Amino acid sequence: MSATQLKSVGDSSWRKDGISKVTGSEQYAPDISVDRMWYGRVLRSPHAHARIVSVDTSAAEAMGAVCLTFADVPQTRYNERIVSTPPCLYRDRTVVADKARHVGEALVGVAAPTEELAEKALRSIKIEYEVLQVITTIEQAQKDGADPVHDTVLLNGEDKPIINNVAVQRTIDVGDTVKGFAESDFVIERSFKTGRIYHAQMEPKTVICQPEADGGITVWASTQSIHNTRILLGQIYGLPLNKVNVKKVALGGAFGSSIQMNSVTPIGVGLALKSGHPVKIATTREEDMHDHVRYPSEIKLKLGMKKDGTLIAGEMHAFEFKLKQYVGLGGTFWGQGPASKCIIRSDGVPELLKTGAELINWDKRPKPGSQTGRMRRGIGMARGFHTSGVGHAKASGAEMIDYSGAIVKLNEDGTVDLIQSLMDHGGGTNHAISKIVAEELGVPNHMVGISPCDTRTSLYDVTTHATRGIYAGGAAALKAAKAVKEQIIDWAARVLDVLPESLVIEPDQELGQGVIYCPNLAERRMTVGDLARYLHLNSLGTISSSQSMRQVNCPPAYVSYYVDVEVDTDTGQIHSRRAALGSDCGTVVNPALASGQLIGGLSKGQGYALTEDNQWDPVTGELASKGFWVDGKTPSISESPLVADIETHFAHTYEPTGPFGAKGLGEAAKNPAAAAFANAVYSALGIRFYELPITPEKVLAALAEQAAGKTARAARQAPAPVPVAE
Amino acid sequence: MKKHTVRFSLNGTPREITVNANELLLNVTREQEKLTGTKYGCGIGECGACTVHVDGRPTLSCLQLAVAVDGAEVVTIEGLAKGRELDPLQKSFLDNNAVQCGYCTPGMIMIGRNLLDENPNPTEEEVRTHMRGQLCRCTGYASITKAVMGAGKCATGDFKIPAE
Ligand code: FES
Ligand code: FES
Repeated sequence: MSATQLKSVGDSSWRKDGISKVTGSEQYAPDISVDRMWYGRVLRSPHAHARIVSVDTSAAEAMGAVCLTFADVPQTRYNERIVSTPPCLYRDRTVVADKARHVGEALVGVAAPTEELAEKALRSIKIEYEVLQVITTIEQAQKDGADPVHDTVLLNGEDKPIINNVAVQRTIDVGDTVKGFAESDFVIERSFKTGRIYHAQMEPKTVICQPEADGGITVWASTQSIHNTRILLGQIYGLPLNKVNVKKVALGGAFGSSIQMNSVTPIGVGLALKSGHPVKIATTREEDMHDHVRYPSEIKLKLGMKKDGTLIAGEMHAFEFKLKQYVGLGGTFWGQGPASKCIIRSDGVPELLKTGAELINWDKRPKPGSQTGRMRRGIGMARGFHTSGVGHAKASGAEMIDYSGAIVKLNEDGTVDLIQSLMDHGGGTNHAISKIVAEELGVPNHMVGISPCDTRTSLYDVTTHATRGIYAGGAAALKAAKAVKEQIIDWAARVLDVLPESLVIEPDQELGQGVIYCPNLAERRMTVGDLARYLHLNSLGTISSSQSMRQVNCPPAYVSYYVDVEVDTDTGQIHSRRAALGSDCGTVVNPALASGQLIGGLSKGQGYALTEDNQWDPVTGELASKGFWVDGKTPSISESPLVADIETHFAHTYEPTGPFGAKGLGEAAKNPAAAAFANAVYSALGIRFYELPITPEKVLAALAEQAAGKTARAARQAPAPVPVAE
Repeated sequence: MKKHTVRFSLNGTPREITVNANELLLNVTREQEKLTGTKYGCGIGECGACTVHVDGRPTLSCLQLAVAVDGAEVVTIEGLAKGRELDPLQKSFLDNNAVQCGYCTPGMIMIGRNLLDENPNPTEEEVRTHMRGQLCRCTGYASITKAVMGAGKCATGDFKIPAE
């Protein structure tokens, strides 16, 4: 089916959760409260690395508070992220720690009838610490004799020792690199550093846990996966899963930070179970900033290439593996680190590059180092991708879990309920999937509602991560919709007395209904609503389907970035002035929202490239920002390009394995940003930066060095990297 | 701690509440009044998620003592729509897809509404200046800027009727 024939998929009507979000009635975890609820607070470590010698909670308990210390929690270690199967799960966490491993580590949970009392009780707790060596860099950690951060790690039931703070090393060899480098025309060796980025999702992590009379628990939590949260809570507290119910509530952004079960979630549950009261823990921004981060990385890269830019050999020593090579239609593609592989069946890269180049005036980009004034402009580009989901990813004997479920049911008036546990981070995934269902059923988009649900009433969904929402979650819903459609057609054929094969269903906007009809027998028609009522009044049952599915492919969702910057050589500041952002996400299900995700990606990518770095003080291990968000340097409206200076565009591709031709978009939207900005700065100044973020301080230092002639010499020795590897 | 009685109007309804002197308006609206549309994002004036109107002025409710709104008119995001009729700016946010996760949205709409009350047709520069204290991690601000600038159209009824 070509995109032009689609009715719901590809239209830009209001998102279904839009009205509740603009009126303030949408409920996020922090907005939930229940009767008899107590408030929880968490005592966090002031030390970066310390063993707990003793904890005295007697004063807190005397005030009527309930405390949760290491002695109160199950001692079995777990991995808070359960996307992989056990052979690959390194378990090193407990609900609260017996040893502080970073400033802000959760050590004791406290609950009391009021927040004020909980805070007072928390301050009365006395902890004696044995302070250990502060380790904030990879070099320090690996030195002989460095204090171990984790003594051992649990893998598949085996307690594995950790030597020099290295828990696992992986070597991946593909092909013959010695031969490859020998045959290369150019060999480039570089080291890169990326910053420590705070996710800065607007919703601080929150949990509410209500103990139930039957010994079970009901949980509302900030999470990317209600089912993984349920499984982990069941494992930790020894509860059968039918006694653990995690509710789906709106998520105020995550950007990967809720892929794992958040640290406060099991603490809230432990406090609720111990006190017998519902307990709510809503973290403060300061706590949240101490709680999660995108890890910094150091990458040593060696690449061998032919004169035309074809990469033929690569070697990488990285603390994050990120070598991804572009291949065209039909090629085998590696994604998700070394774990997953797919076959490319839709490829919009050539179109993206062409359109982006035209939009930004790529041919007119300033020659690096050709400008002299105070303000210098530069244009840079980069291309990136993310696989849509992980397909059949296998690594080190483990599998990545990757499947989704959906229930689709026809209501008694012809409207449809979509029940799916898959979380929407804000990009509109649930809305998009409801459109996929409408499209398949042949009913108008507004007929399909997104049901509130919980783990008891929905099928498993691994988690909304890895750009998989629409591609994998949408495919599961499509499978259920197909089964529902078959039943609708089947029943309608009987009622209308025609063969099922002769019937089609199409949305009728005027009627606001799906209409089932026989194209060459005009009078044999009825609306989906008529059929639903007929089935209901004749007690013939509910049409529904519940389906699970795993996508075996994981097609790369490509993104291209062309950015235009202005560098102030007096202050060192880099201003983001124009951008052309392209996405190959296959069929675009929500065009306006997809475009918004690209622009959001630009903002986050700009922060990553130019300003954000949530560093720790190397001596004390304290967060340099001290938990102040403005010091985390999340970009604001003032740093964004003007509206008219941001263009978004989409490749005209159709992914045969995706629902109605769709692939993912989410994470891909940000991936090439940093490289594009670094290239733009090179175009403006003739200086290459290999370390993020490219702060004004670094720019001024490099300019001074350039003036002294050093950079010019270095640049002559190394061939300029080729922008596009095709 | 000594309790204080505060009388104020909340979304047009007269309210009388008893609070501690250190109680914040944000907590009063969210917890006592159960109006959870106003969000906590940082609690220290960094993000704008908690923006409400106090006597028409945009106010960070996380920095506002509840006792200080005695006698004032407080409007939160829940007070913007007239019955089932959305405020033009709320419509404009939907038309322009300026809502992603939606967590910043109430604050964005409250500050945007305040700008439009003073200046119904703001330029992009004016929008940027007025909204520079509001953080949004999802949208990159372009759609929000368009929504505020385009709200005038929605006010005259010249807005897109949603397909549904
Ligand atoms: S919560 Fe008030 S400014 Fe952030
Ligand atoms: S829409 Fe998510 S923070 Fe603005």
